[in-house]
Amino acid sequence: MVIQKMEQNESMVKRGWWLILLLAGAIIAPHVISDFYLVILIEALIMSLFALSFNLLFGYMGQLSFGQAAFYGLGGYTVAMLITKVNFNFWLSLLAGVGVAGFVGLIVGFFCVRLRGIYFAVLTLAFGQLLFVIIYKWHDFTGGDDGIQGVFPPGILKIPIVYYYFVLLVFIASAFILWRIVNSPFGHTLKAMRENPERTEFLGIHIARYQLITFVIAAAFAGLAGALWVPFYRSVAPFYLMWIKSGEPVMAAILGGASTFFGPVLGMFIMTFIHAYILGFTHFWPIIMGTIILIIIFALPGGILEFAKVKLKERQERMKSAKGSP
Amino acid sequence: MSFDILFNQFMSGIARASLLFLVASGLSLTFGVLRVLNFAHGSLYMLGAFVTYSIWKGLLIPVVGFYIATFLAALVMGGIGIIIEFFLLRRLYARGWPEQLLVTYALVLIITDLVKLGWGGEFLSIPRPVPFKGAVSLFGFPFPSYNFFVILLGLALVIFLWWLVYRTRIGDIIRAAAHDREMVAALGIPIPWLFTWIFVLGAMIAGLSGGVAGPYGAIALGMDIEIIVECFAVVVIGGMGSLPGTLLGSFIVGQVYAFGIMFKPELALAFIFMVMAAVLIIRPWGIFGRPER
Repeated sequence: MVIQKMEQNESMVKRGWWLILLLAGAIIAPHVISDFYLVILIEALIMSLFALSFNLLFGYMGQLSFGQAAFYGLGGYTVAMLITKVNFNFWLSLLAGVGVAGFVGLIVGFFCVRLRGIYFAVLTLAFGQLLFVIIYKWHDFTGGDDGIQGVFPPGILKIPIVYYYFVLLVFIASAFILWRIVNSPFGHTLKAMRENPERTEFLGIHIARYQLITFVIAAAFAGLAGALWVPFYRSVAPFYLMWIKSGEPVMAAILGGASTFFGPVLGMFIMTFIHAYILGFTHFWPIIMGTIILIIIFALPGGILEFAKVKLKERQERMKSAKGSP
Repeated sequence: MSFDILFNQFMSGIARASLLFLVASGLSLTFGVLRVLNFAHGSLYMLGAFVTYSIWKGLLIPVVGFYIATFLAALVMGGIGIIIEFFLLRRLYARGWPEQLLVTYALVLIITDLVKLGWGGEFLSIPRPVPFKGAVSLFGFPFPSYNFFVILLGLALVIFLWWLVYRTRIGDIIRAAAHDREMVAALGIPIPWLFTWIFVLGAMIAGLSGGVAGPYGAIALGMDIEIIVECFAVVVIGGMGSLPGTLLGSFIVGQVYAFGIMFKPELALAFIFMVMAAVLIIRPWGIFGRPER
């Protein structure tokens, strides 16, 4: 345990320099890349936040939610409806999006944390579909399958590059908060529950309560992602809540590596950029996404970051043994 | 509200329940034995419907053409089931279920696009086959006689599956494997092959129900997701992997839908999920389900 802790600290120091590098890259990026890729970059950042919220449940709590898009969509719908219907303040709308997603997450989570494994996945999926169906069919209130158009951010946020920096700021702040959560005693308790729920319960920890809190946090951050996305695209549609959408963060986590904090971000960036590239010459995106999933699962078990970690470790060990032998 | 309207609604609920059972039973069977929740089950159902359409169109045999086409489509889906189980799922049993789930999710995406590529995005329809063309009068209300065919087929499948699972040696093995896989394997029964055939049976049922769904509604993209989500509700209510549970779940979902549509059409689906939530509060593993180990 102590050794593990030391290794963690060591890797955190190592991690420091490339985080700074990434940050510098993210700040310079919009001045270097074309407008088209700036849009994609904003998409990737927002979707990465969505993926991080999902991985709090999947990677740390150990439960796969197939209904995370419902909270993402709820965040988006809250912002869209507040801005277009009652001309509400943009910043407060964002907060309201987070709040609504978190509140619905509390209700849905109340049912879902009673179950584990595949049952948890199906139940989250079913609740997600329930929310989708309500928004899809409630035409008078939500606009039904037409969605809502004309959701504009205020003032200079209409300029993509400004919106980019705004999203970047929110992303960094959110990632930092999530990072702090998973590395706090609370986060360690989560991991303990994932590894051995019975033993954790014997220690006097109320598993359902911890999981419910986590579920609400994840829902709130998914809502934040949706709330950021909708003003950028000026519109929202019911399919944002659908289970097919919920599959995207699942895929990003598996692609990048669910056992690492930034794995889902890497996965989402790869997916978003491949998506943008492929849409240039075909609209058959699902078949390509499906094929990528199959390749990743069979060729790169554990995801890219995990794969890289294992390779790196192998190399270090090789070098160690090479040094050891005369 | 008079009795005849309610009875009519009840009967259309039964027909819907029957179609749901046709699809959900394959899903439940696969889950019960393989412990794999097949997201792509609805996609196999949709593919079955499209394949049935094409065979029916190609055969041009009057009267029995539709039945032959449905049967052949079920066989085709069985073949696709072999491919999926043998080349994809079989290599994942040692890994976690999230990977299995994601593979079937990938298949949903792939099959959707394949159907789009193969048949385009249009709505297709198969006319109701003889002798179920017209409607019969139930207390003065017209009731499509094809619904009776769907109900009869559902009943036949209930009896067949009950016989298979509870009255045959294969059934003994199926139930034993669902309970303790290692022990069954230790007794010298080839588990991998059992899994393949169960998956194939599930795929064939999906194909068959897809074919049957053709004259019942429309054949269109999106029918995969529509049915699979309702099937999830069915198996969650009834208990995943339980045959009686699937039957009861189908009945409940079919009835809730039929009466929900009468009460408030736009919320019919929402009612289903509300019932599901209610069941889960009382029994988190469904009515006939077992707590997971």
